[in-house]
Amino acid sequence: MLETRNLDKSFGAIHVTRNVALKLEKGERRVILGPNGAGKTTLFNQLVGEIQPSSGSIHLAGEDVTRLSVADRARRGLSRSYQKNTLFDGLTVWENLGLAAAIALGKGTGLMRDPLHDPEVIETVKEVAALVNLGRSLHAPVAAVSYGVRRQLEVGIALATRPKVLLMDEPTSGVGPEMSRGFHRLLKNLPRDLTVLIIEHDMDLAFDVADTITVLNYGEVVFDGLPEAARNSALLKEIYLGSWEDA
Amino acid sequence: MFRHTRLRLITLALLAIGAVLYGAFTGYFGLEVLTEIAILAILVLSLDLVAGFGGMVSLCHGALMGTGAYAFAMLASDLGLSPAAAMAGAIGLTGAVAALIGAICARSHGIYFIMATLAFSQMGYSLVFESPWFGGDDGLSDVPRPDLSAIGLDLNDPRTFTFWCLAALALAYLVAAQVLRSGMGRSMVGLMHNEKRLRALGLTAWRVKAVAFGISGAIAGLAGVLAAQQTQYISPGLMAWTVSGEALVVVILGGLGTLVGPLVGALLFVMLRHEVSAFTPYWHAVVGMILVAVVMSRANGVYGWIEHRLSVRGAHGKPIEPEVENA
Ligand SMILES: Nc1ncnc2c1ncn2[C@@H]1O[C@H](COP(=O)(O)OP(=O)(O)OP(=O)(O)O)[C@@H](O)[C@H]1O
Ligand SMILES: [Mg+2]
Repeated sequence: MLETRNLDKSFGAIHVTRNVALKLEKGERRVILGPNGAGKTTLFNQLVGEIQPSSGSIHLAGEDVTRLSVADRARRGLSRSYQKNTLFDGLTVWENLGLAAAIALGKGTGLMRDPLHDPEVIETVKEVAALVNLGRSLHAPVAAVSYGVRRQLEVGIALATRPKVLLMDEPTSGVGPEMSRGFHRLLKNLPRDLTVLIIEHDMDLAFDVADTITVLNYGEVVFDGLPEAARNSALLKEIYLGSWEDA
Repeated sequence: MFRHTRLRLITLALLAIGAVLYGAFTGYFGLEVLTEIAILAILVLSLDLVAGFGGMVSLCHGALMGTGAYAFAMLASDLGLSPAAAMAGAIGLTGAVAALIGAICARSHGIYFIMATLAFSQMGYSLVFESPWFGGDDGLSDVPRPDLSAIGLDLNDPRTFTFWCLAALALAYLVAAQVLRSGMGRSMVGLMHNEKRLRALGLTAWRVKAVAFGISGAIAGLAGVLAAQQTQYISPGLMAWTVSGEALVVVILGGLGTLVGPLVGALLFVMLRHEVSAFTPYWHAVVGMILVAVVMSRANGVYGWIEHRLSVRGAHGKPIEPEVENA
């Protein structure tokens, strides 16, 4: 469903992605682990087209999308959430989700109908709001809701496009254990045919939801396999030092 | 997101009733003032559409208005089109020019966008000013008014002409409000708040900007056509960037991103100009001081301040509350 071949990216002298080869099957849940600065976010940026790789290629559902724009890839069903909230701050939670749904449904450029009153859009917003537990804050402006709610909205916007492939960049970063468990449930409730790639620091969550695990270190894939194998890997223990024991 | 709050509808109704009553009973001078207000209101409406709801602060809307005026005059006089056809042609042409400018400037933001639009404005000005084709310094005279005798109207009658301009203003408002409540308008507001995220959702940003700027330009073109019909004479002064600057002042005075505010701004601005210039030639200084006071007060213009006082949420109206509220 999503595949990279020999993906390489350098910023000047800094080599951030080294020869990364990933292959996700349809419906696969893969977690990307790796220390700070390993190049995880930079990998996502290349997958969605926000930055161009120095070399290598990216394939979405069998099609080479390496040269396609961000918007073109999104229209093919690729959606992401950001590590740092990237919301429509001046709008309400409802409007944020509605806008995302409207664009994905191809109703974001018409001149006649109001997509925010479109039944299909409303249906999508309701569904996503229930999924990411935003029901109570729906009509509040983004500026007025807590960080945790914004974090849920961040994922909600990505989901509102009803993607085929969903990339989530540390969805639980900065939220408490309660909300973290909420995300956990969310992941379990996602449609089974949705392909998911998650960058995650929370080991419990990682091992629990992952079908497969990829570990990046200095831009390189140092592990690619099943969660059980990852748990017992000496190399990973070394990379993660003490934090591994807590998992 | 744009929404017709109750306050906005009441304000619109008051403005409409006031304009009709004043237009029906005032004398020649009053009609001139009212026409001036209506034409300025159309221009600032078009500017607020892109500046207030798309973050595209333009310094070429004066030139776009000028484009509409020149296009109308030349299509009617030089090409001999009927005034009605010339109007349609001029509005369409201005819209196309604006869409092109919007597409070209789409990648720049903030101050760079402003400067890019200013550059286009200056290009237009020098083209018109230098070229004998456009009448150069002398401008163009004998600009016709449409012949509406078929429906029993004589646009050479000052009162009829004033109502013609008011009708155009009403139409321009309806178009702008319709655009803002369409998918295109919603996306444009989204672009203003977070262009990167909108791209990631699958929106081709430059296309939305080009279309929105084109529609806005067409409305500015309508203002230009009416300005040409009003004086039946046009000069390159219409294309000067100061016209764009003045339009921006009016939008900010009234309330950026409220659509209704700029109408109030146009009313206040023209009234101030006439009232204050009766006492002192330094009316620009007085308007300047008022603008400074408005900006310093941190209110969103005069109308924005009223909205705020009546505790309607912010500059973009109350959140949209569709039927799903208690879902
Ligand atoms: N635009 C850029 N220009 C130069 N260097 C960059 C750029 N973007 C990222 N980097 C560098 O690339 C490296 C990887 O960054 P990246 O954000 O991908 O790491 P990460 O794995 O997501 O880390 P974290 O867990 O902290 O989010 C870092 O050293 C970063 O400084
Ligand atoms: Mg990161």
